Amino acid sequence: MAEVAYVNASRVFPGTPPVRAVDNLELSVADGEFLVLVGPSGSGKSTALRMLAGLEDVDEGAITIGGKDVTNTPPKGRDIAMVFQSYALYPHMTVAENMGFALKLRGVPKAEIREKVAEAARMLDLTRYLDRKPKALSGGQRQRVAMGRAIVREPSVFLMDEPLSNLDAKLRVETRANIAALQQRLGTTTIYVTHDQVEAMTMGHRVAVLKDGILQQCASPRELYDRPANAFVASFIGSPAMNLKTVPLTPEGARLDGLVVPLSRSALDGAAAEGLSEVTFGIRPESLRLAAADEAGMTMTVELVEELGADAYVYGSVRIGEQSERFIVRVDGRTPPALGQQVEVTVRDADEVHLFHPGTGLRLTA
Amino acid sequence: MRTFLARHWYAYAMALPVVVVVGVLVLLPLAQGLYFTFTDINEANIANPALERRASYEFVGLDNYVKVLTRGESYGAFWSTLARTLIWTSGCVLAHYCLGLGLALLLNRPMRFRGLYRVLLILPWAVPPFISVFAWRYLFNSQFGVVNQALDGLGLPTPVWLGQSDLALLSVMVINIWLGVPFMMVTLLGGLQSIPGELYEAAEMDGATAWQRFRDVTLPGLRSVSSTLVLLGVIWTFNLFHVIFLTTGQNPHTRILVTYAFERFFSGGTRDYAVASTYGALILSLLLVFVTIYRRATRRQGEVW
Amino acid sequence: MSVDAAALRSARGETRAAPTAARRGQRSRLASIGLHGALVTASAVAVFPILWVLVTSFKPDTRAVSPTPRLLDESTVDNYVDVLSGARGDFLAWFGNSVTIAGLSTLVGVFVSATTGYAVSRFRFPGRRGLMLTFLVTQMFPFAVLIVPLHNILLALGLLGQPLGLVLVYCTTTVPFCTLMLREHFDAVPTDIDEAGRVDGLSPFGVFWRLVLPLARPGLAVTAFYSFLTAWGEVAFASAFLSVADDSKTLSVGLQVFVQQNRAEWGHLAAASVLVALPAVVVFYLVQRFLVGGLTGGAVKG
Ligand SMILES: Nc1ncnc2c1ncn2[C@@H]1O[C@H](COP(=O)(O)OP(=O)(O)O)[C@@H](O)[C@H]1O
Ligand SMILES: [Mg+2]
Repeated sequence: MAEVAYVNASRVFPGTPPVRAVDNLELSVADGEFLVLVGPSGSGKSTALRMLAGLEDVDEGAITIGGKDVTNTPPKGRDIAMVFQSYALYPHMTVAENMGFALKLRGVPKAEIREKVAEAARMLDLTRYLDRKPKALSGGQRQRVAMGRAIVREPSVFLMDEPLSNLDAKLRVETRANIAALQQRLGTTTIYVTHDQVEAMTMGHRVAVLKDGILQQCASPRELYDRPANAFVASFIGSPAMNLKTVPLTPEGARLDGLVVPLSRSALDGAAAEGLSEVTFGIRPESLRLAAADEAGMTMTVELVEELGADAYVYGSVRIGEQSERFIVRVDGRTPPALGQQVEVTVRDADEVHLFHPGTGLRLTA
Repeated sequence: MRTFLARHWYAYAMALPVVVVVGVLVLLPLAQGLYFTFTDINEANIANPALERRASYEFVGLDNYVKVLTRGESYGAFWSTLARTLIWTSGCVLAHYCLGLGLALLLNRPMRFRGLYRVLLILPWAVPPFISVFAWRYLFNSQFGVVNQALDGLGLPTPVWLGQSDLALLSVMVINIWLGVPFMMVTLLGGLQSIPGELYEAAEMDGATAWQRFRDVTLPGLRSVSSTLVLLGVIWTFNLFHVIFLTTGQNPHTRILVTYAFERFFSGGTRDYAVASTYGALILSLLLVFVTIYRRATRRQGEVW
Repeated sequence: MSVDAAALRSARGETRAAPTAARRGQRSRLASIGLHGALVTASAVAVFPILWVLVTSFKPDTRAVSPTPRLLDESTVDNYVDVLSGARGDFLAWFGNSVTIAGLSTLVGVFVSATTGYAVSRFRFPGRRGLMLTFLVTQMFPFAVLIVPLHNILLALGLLGQPLGLVLVYCTTTVPFCTLMLREHFDAVPTDIDEAGRVDGLSPFGVFWRLVLPLARPGLAVTAFYSFLTAWGEVAFASAFLSVADDSKTLSVGLQVFVQQNRAEWGHLAAASVLVALPAVVVFYLVQRFLVGGLTGGAVKG
């Protein structure tokens, strides 16, 4: 058990120009916490994780595990276990040997190793496969062996780098739940890397969003969803993505086609203080609805209807100023509009609007 | 500097034994050998601890090079020997590669007795070369050799294979080809097996004929193996002396650069180390030129070296 | 000999599918005959000279070379008895020397090639490219011509006449190729495996020794085979650097007694040759199933 902290840690890959794959990362993870690092591909998630594992140099700053500075400690001295995206099982060892290898290296007595491996195998439903080599296992089984190898060690921190990305969709959902439950049971500090925001939202106690090596926001899934710190987080978290448009401000609020969305006094004051005549206006599809006949709304031409059973998402274009903008609206799945139809769309609740600075992308509403 | 060492010491520690051994036992002798090419060193003036004689060879500048390149037969007829060396090298490597590839293609398909063929075909590699060479010398023997007996049986003329004619060169080339094909075959077979089967299936779907599949899938798939193999093959064959030396000895019709160096080195009371080394240096320069050109030509196809 | 699964499968497939039209991937009868014909011919050419040595080894010297060769001609095992009993030199001592020297050369050569190959494969250290190019250049100089300087260096190191000196010389000739080949094998082992090992508590050397080496076993088998054969059959260095005492010769040097000027004792030579070739063939047999998978890594990239 241990807490983990990145203290202004950076990794700069040499090159012309040098790549700051992780840039001044300041992040602490509490003991027993499940933290998810999420971001698009190439955002530096793996690099951040590998820095913690000791597989990547820390060029600036420091990393501590359990309060101890491990910046220059080799991986074996960090008491961590890692699940690799490729699983990296040892092909020449059986499942049991794979799982027990770290213990064997530590000189744990054979009987004890066997016991621990058997226990982990039971937990992961691998008992039948203990004598097989990895190449004789299915993808899901290999994934569990990789998990087992980490669990058997009883490390103070688990590191997982996209451990589910090689599984099919159904297995992925299932394993997602299993990993979360397992972590809950073991109570081991876990740092989990994924590019999939659904995984991040469903698994993490807290989620850290990375982009271009820079930490955008680290908060609980709820907070991230409800109060994204900037336009990037707003667009990255949530599926389908938030509608984010640059719209002109009026004294009453933001103007979208025929609709003026009233904004809070503080938001308008904030924008005025910055001298803005436009804002980046964000609203999630579920915060929009079809307007009743007598309501004001923006006119949307329906281009695509995605029916998901209970709900349907309507994709369509709205004229904002000179341009035509794509909007997504969630509607009742039983009465979706038809393709090509013109519908009036309005905002469900003005409180669910997110405003961002059109230049910096930072959140405006306090 | 400290971080430099801290970062790389492992790599250096692992490479160090080789660097030391290669440095001491290859580069040092090489440097000394190159120095010898500018002296008149031979058995008579070399230091001899047994006789308590000190070295008395002298620096003669480019004398050796001038002699080798201009004096003709008394210095090994450099230019015609070079021509013969080129025939020997290109002939052997070409045959090694083509036969090796042909056999590898045959072996690279499921069939009965595949394992047996494989073992039999690799066998020439497993037997120490000096033994195979003796066997071949007998087979090529002009009176009771099997080759001539067979020719005789067919009513064909029975030439003296290993005598003073260019047939001797042909014979040693045949022997060397026999010796070298298994290595090529095995390596190319490995290369063939690393070409993904889907590529062939895709080509088949596109309607490629067998020949087109060979040209557009097999050959490109083997490119990197092949370029390494041919490079090493040329270097090795160019410098291969034991086959010729054991088969025909000092026959001028089978003389190539390296065997002449060896001849100078071992034969006669004089043991002309200077000329032998000069030949060595010339071989080295020729191969360096070759490798430079070769690498430039193959660079486009992905660098191997 | 390995009867591989593919051969079995195709054999079964043929019997089952015989009556129906040619199935995918099946050869016509003619193609099949051509294929086997070519392979049988090639195998015959490959084996014949070796077979001849074997046959000759049982004949007396006078019969070995005859204008009308017969397969069995007064065949006895006398040649073997002569050779083994040491009538023509201490064969067993030569054999022992060869085993020691070839064995040591293999061990040392493969080990240092492996460490170097691993360093080149895994670490991006300054001088890495230079090292590989140096290796290539070392193959270009007719090494045998360096006997004099080598002689001097071995003398200075006190290794002249010592088996160890010869072992080191052999290593220098085999290491460049072995390193190249092993490096390609190591390249084929994903670096994730290394990292998993590091996290599991191995030092970099531990990763090499316990994970990467076992995974590159085919490559090791092949380089071992190559190193062994190189040292086993070599004559020039062995005659130059070992002491002249009869019992310190290697086999290949000792056997030269059977090849006097113009008067080769074919029968004895053949018997001795068979005895020499035997260990090589045994080593070959042990590694041959790796050969095909094994030389693959050699030089194969991407
Ligand atoms: N060994 C390396 N050398 C140079 N650049 C690298 C290296 N590894 C990663 N990078 C770069 O660092 C950035 C972050 O990579 P990574 O951490 O793997 O991203 P991801 O978030 O997809 O896991 C990328 O731009 C990548 O190109
Ligand atoms: Mg990644």
